[in-house]
Amino acid sequence: MKFQTHTGLKKWVNLLNTSVVLIVLFVALPLYWLIASSFKTNVGIGASPPQYFPDPLSIANYQSAFVHYDFGIYFRNSLIVAIAATFLVLAIGSLAGYALARLPIRGKTAIMVILLMISLFPEIAVVSPLYLVMHNLGWIDSYQVLIIPYTAFNLPFAIWIMRNYFLGIPREMEESARVDGASPLRTYWSIILPQALPGIFTAGIFTFTACWTEFLMALTFDNSNSFRTIPVGIALFGSPNVIPYGTIFAASVVAVVPIGILVFVFRRFVVSGLTSGAVKG
Amino acid sequence: MTRSMLENATANETPPPTPDQQVTGHRRRTTRIGWVFSSPALVIVALVTIFPIAFSVVLSLANVTVTGNGFQLAGFTFSNYSEIFHASVWRYALVFTVFYTVVTVAVEVILGTLIGLVLERLTKGRGLMMALLLVPWSMITVISAELWQYIFDGTYGVMQAIFSAIGLGQPQFLGTPTSAIISMMVADIWKTTPFVAIIVVAGLVMLPQEVFEAAAVDGAGSWTTFWRVTLPLLRPTIALAILFRILQAFGIFDLPFVLTGGGPGTATTSLAVLSYRTMFQNLNYGAGNAIAVSASVLVLIGCLLFLKVFRAQVSDA
Repeated sequence: MKFQTHTGLKKWVNLLNTSVVLIVLFVALPLYWLIASSFKTNVGIGASPPQYFPDPLSIANYQSAFVHYDFGIYFRNSLIVAIAATFLVLAIGSLAGYALARLPIRGKTAIMVILLMISLFPEIAVVSPLYLVMHNLGWIDSYQVLIIPYTAFNLPFAIWIMRNYFLGIPREMEESARVDGASPLRTYWSIILPQALPGIFTAGIFTFTACWTEFLMALTFDNSNSFRTIPVGIALFGSPNVIPYGTIFAASVVAVVPIGILVFVFRRFVVSGLTSGAVKG
Repeated sequence: MTRSMLENATANETPPPTPDQQVTGHRRRTTRIGWVFSSPALVIVALVTIFPIAFSVVLSLANVTVTGNGFQLAGFTFSNYSEIFHASVWRYALVFTVFYTVVTVAVEVILGTLIGLVLERLTKGRGLMMALLLVPWSMITVISAELWQYIFDGTYGVMQAIFSAIGLGQPQFLGTPTSAIISMMVADIWKTTPFVAIIVVAGLVMLPQEVFEAAAVDGAGSWTTFWRVTLPLLRPTIALAILFRILQAFGIFDLPFVLTGGGPGTATTSLAVLSYRTMFQNLNYGAGNAIAVSASVLVLIGCLLFLKVFRAQVSDA
């Protein structure tokens, strides 16, 4: 009996399981701390030694985020900006990705290399010139001041992902559609798009996440409270001397929800959308 | 993805096969349609990225004076560059950013590759693990910065409680330069290692299975298989992950801006934070843009060098 448990234990404590446990702890412990702290009272937040479990459990922070601070507004703004930019990126980017994958354009290589280089540029290099342009357009403190740059900055990577996915789709169906007299737009819409959904979802998730988390441009271009997005809103909670961690964490937990849902629903696509282009590679 | 991404970058100019000669008219038409399809994207990218980048270079080479409503450009000058090259804050920020990039990217790539290998071997629960890994990666950096600031707090931070419980004293994590830099790296590694792991899993999934079967038939042990088969085949994937990470790490702004405010002193002031402060707090647009342009040029050179070296290695393999 003793021997059996021993081997059983040994079997369980192998390298793979140990690593899985370590990975889970490494990722999940800080997340636990975020969630637990969001349910602490102000006394609980400042307790020393820290409360490892919130006592008493309180939802005051969640109320405070929406009532004392304008988290509801920030959340709405983030949704508007991220959804609009993602939609534009997918619409414009998938057309370009298709053209760059299949249609005979001169200088494809040059275009792809330039796109790659642009996606490499540190954001800080464009912020002040863009600020000037936006200022002259009268766009400071608006939605489009973020939607347009977010679209432009996420297009290169999205085009890369979608183009590579398009390259992996067999040509035969397109050829027969062409023989039947379908226009390229029609071929793209009814043959390519349905098959490329995983690649498009992947590009969409990457774009939405990038827009949802972007900080520098949002900080620079939108100074009025009514257009602030979540990252800027959260960063400006409280005063320089008092940081209301409880409220910040409650808002943070709520901010994770949309991405969490998106990622959980489409988690299969995150990997398969990235891999499929390789079939042709 | 990865293989095709790297290779398609320079190869793959092959036009689709033309079945016969009478297609030339059709070809010309589809070429035009190709441009129609891709021009919206190219125009937006050009207007919103290439134009500002060029403008940024202009600003960095001009005498910029701030006026009541915007600013004026007067004359060409190198003074912005000579100003930053002589400033010790710029030199420190450069060294710090390079050091920070090298260390975090190295740790994240090694750790991320290991995690990716573990995930690929999992028979059950892989989907759940992927979902868990995606949470830190998709988290708003400002939020993770606030979270780690709370964890590393000098009065009620949980990290300090753990350290003192195991008899390591009560370090002020964000209070001294060295520990602030290490703390910032920990926060970065926690958030970004999952990104590398996901890219590695994607790369592992697409490796040809026959090679591993052949290795097994030849009697290769798991260690040999890893070093001689898996790792060489995974090289392009890892190269891509490194490239992405270098770019993101070199432009780092959110994390130091919120976690440490660039401090204590200027200990965690990256080039992007320095550029932002110079432009929007000191209102020195010329120097601020010179810092941004110098950072961009450096990171581009670094990436081109990296691509060159790595491509050579790939074709050797």
